Amino acid sequence: MFNWGMVIDLNKCTGCGACVSACRSENNIPNVGPEESRAARAIFWMDLLEVVEGEFPDVKVQYIPRPCFHCEKPPCTKVCPVRATYKNDEGLVAQIYHRCIGCRYCMVACPYSVKSFNWYEPERPPEFRQTCNPDVSLRMKGVVEKCTFCNHRLQKAKDRARFESVELQENDYQPACVEACPASAIIFGNFEDKKHAVYRLGKSNRAFKMQEDLGTEPKVIYLARED
Amino acid sequence: MAAEEFKNDPDYIIYKPIIEKGRGAYILGIVLVSVFLWTMYMYGTQLIRGLGITGLNSRISWGFYIVNFVFFIGISHAGTLISAILRLSKAEWRRPITRMAEVTTAIVLAIGGLHPIIDLGRPDRMLNIFFYGRLQSPLLWDVTAITCYFTASTVYLYLPMIPDIARMRDMGVRPHWLYSFLSWGWRGTPHQKKTLDRALSILMVLVIPIAISVHTVISFIFSMTLQPGWHSTIFGPYFVVGAIFSGIAALLVVMIIFRKVFHLEGYLKEVHFRYLSTLLLIMSFLWFYFTFSEYLTGIYGSEPNEMRTILYKFTGDYWPFFWGMVLCNFVIPVVILSFKKLKTIKGIFIASMAVIVGMWLERLNIIVPSLTIPRLNYTPQFYAPSLVEWALFLAGLTAFALAFLLFSKFFPIISVWEIKEGREEVMSVKERIDGYQPDTDIKREEK
Amino acid sequence: MLNFHRDAGTPPYIFAMQILSISFIWVFVAGITWWIVRLIVLSVNLHDAPDLSFIISIVIIPIFFILAGVLTYVFMNLQRNRPEDIDNKEGENEADEKM
Repeated sequence: MFNWGMVIDLNKCTGCGACVSACRSENNIPNVGPEESRAARAIFWMDLLEVVEGEFPDVKVQYIPRPCFHCEKPPCTKVCPVRATYKNDEGLVAQIYHRCIGCRYCMVACPYSVKSFNWYEPERPPEFRQTCNPDVSLRMKGVVEKCTFCNHRLQKAKDRARFESVELQENDYQPACVEACPASAIIFGNFEDKKHAVYRLGKSNRAFKMQEDLGTEPKVIYLARED
Repeated sequence: MAAEEFKNDPDYIIYKPIIEKGRGAYILGIVLVSVFLWTMYMYGTQLIRGLGITGLNSRISWGFYIVNFVFFIGISHAGTLISAILRLSKAEWRRPITRMAEVTTAIVLAIGGLHPIIDLGRPDRMLNIFFYGRLQSPLLWDVTAITCYFTASTVYLYLPMIPDIARMRDMGVRPHWLYSFLSWGWRGTPHQKKTLDRALSILMVLVIPIAISVHTVISFIFSMTLQPGWHSTIFGPYFVVGAIFSGIAALLVVMIIFRKVFHLEGYLKEVHFRYLSTLLLIMSFLWFYFTFSEYLTGIYGSEPNEMRTILYKFTGDYWPFFWGMVLCNFVIPVVILSFKKLKTIKGIFIASMAVIVGMWLERLNIIVPSLTIPRLNYTPQFYAPSLVEWALFLAGLTAFALAFLLFSKFFPIISVWEIKEGREEVMSVKERIDGYQPDTDIKREEK
Repeated sequence: MLNFHRDAGTPPYIFAMQILSISFIWVFVAGITWWIVRLIVLSVNLHDAPDLSFIISIVIIPIFFILAGVLTYVFMNLQRNRPEDIDNKEGENEADEKM
């Protein structure tokens, strides 16, 4: 029925970071502080990777937004000893924060290193709490978290559709990063729907997947830059 | 009186540490307990504040705790493996060694088996493994295998102890109720001896596949992921060989220490060390062979992610640990153990300590570099363990020493009944060895 | 096993502790078996474990039973002290015949 995925057009992406920012607000991602960030403990569900090619003055920089790829064959779900991360019927790699024992095996198994860990109890000062999204649960110390394709928005869209007795239309549900991108570089939809842009663009000749040879079949397809 | 008779026993020196509890033992015990309590306090701070106080980060999320876990479980191998294999092959020189080997295994398995718990972000949810466990996860295979091995090795340690415990019960050693409880009514009758014999025959065969499977399953934790440097089919045998290697070295160190402290030179003779250190030498070559195959394959294939990891170990930030490992695991043992002049007890001690350090470094070299260089474009970090991680490493070592101290004060560290049995069975052993000689034609000989 | 009775030299309370410890081992083995069966049922329901995991888990259970069995076998047999088994030195075991 539904197999949610994304296409990210690197031609359009300017590296502005709006997707990163929107994701942080939408999903109540805590700030870890500058020292912890320097020690590679910052939590980024949507990260912006920087690929630098060439030497000064002929430098080319490519910014690549990197959410969780929600692979068809996720290596992280295979290794979780308690099924705190699993793949659901709609193609999302989901998580159960209250079951996670914090062994970090999934973090180690993910070849794209998309998962983050709460090394300390996340700081949520009162100002932060005022801006929290009530639809997203707050994670606690010692559990693993990652991008969920804003699953809470999917739940809300489904509830609304059921309330109005209509079928869920794809564009009813868009993750925060898709909505926030000013260049419309991120397209989100159902790969099962052969009429949707996501399916069409996924077959374009510019399309590539990260580390495709690993066989994880990621559902985030990148369209290569044209220069 | 029973005690007088005891003192005339030719093997009394083995019982001496149990009967005459010296002051040195108490002092050592107090020091070890204090250090251990401090390390537990450090663990407490980790529980309260979170794993953030370690040196781990979101790229290198496995560090010292997992290194020590694999290290301690690795040492458990030679214990039961050497004791079981030497018993199976009826090697007479095993007699003074088996008890120490079996105790090492049991202690080190208990310590190693608890290490994943200190690594968990939510140890309070540990029971989730029992309620919601997933069979396809190598960590779960690990939990099962280690439980099985720990049970088997405890049984395999306990059963051969029964005759010795019974002797101490009969000689009135205090605390009497303990020895009476543990000796299960052993009286030394032929029927009971046959029972014990039968039980040990089953166990020594059963324990070997369990032991091999344990370290293979631990290697699967790494080889079942897609990380460069980990996803290698050689990991199973590589880890087993490494475990036997480190286990023999640990056993040699334990033997040398007890020989010195309890004055057991009459029992742990040069010949025992010579044979065991030859085994250590062979394992060193075997370890080198596996390591060489692993890296040659990686370098020849030159797959970019693999090469980045390999170069990080060879010439990058990790070169002191990598080449230190080669020095400790191969160069030092081979040099010391190949030359008769250097193969003294002191030399063997140095070689064994080098191997123990080298095998710990090997675990570090396997786990951390693969995580330091991720596949995608993240900044590589250098893993620097914090005080908590060092403290918990010290906790493992202290617990090992403490457990051995406790054991040696209540039970004989050498299997006395097997020594006595060895003395009585000299003739039957001679007959067995004569049976190996080819059958000659008697008439032709008489001519 | 028909001649099973407690060895004469062991006081009753110690014997009770020994029986308790043997029963504990069987409780442990039963617990492990129940746990592994539960995991197997969960895997079958979720349909995502490789078949090898089943085989391995199913092999583990008999191993635990063998270990518990060996311990019980040794314990039972060590309690037997038949007159014909006795060494001449340990004459006190004649008391067993009367039990």
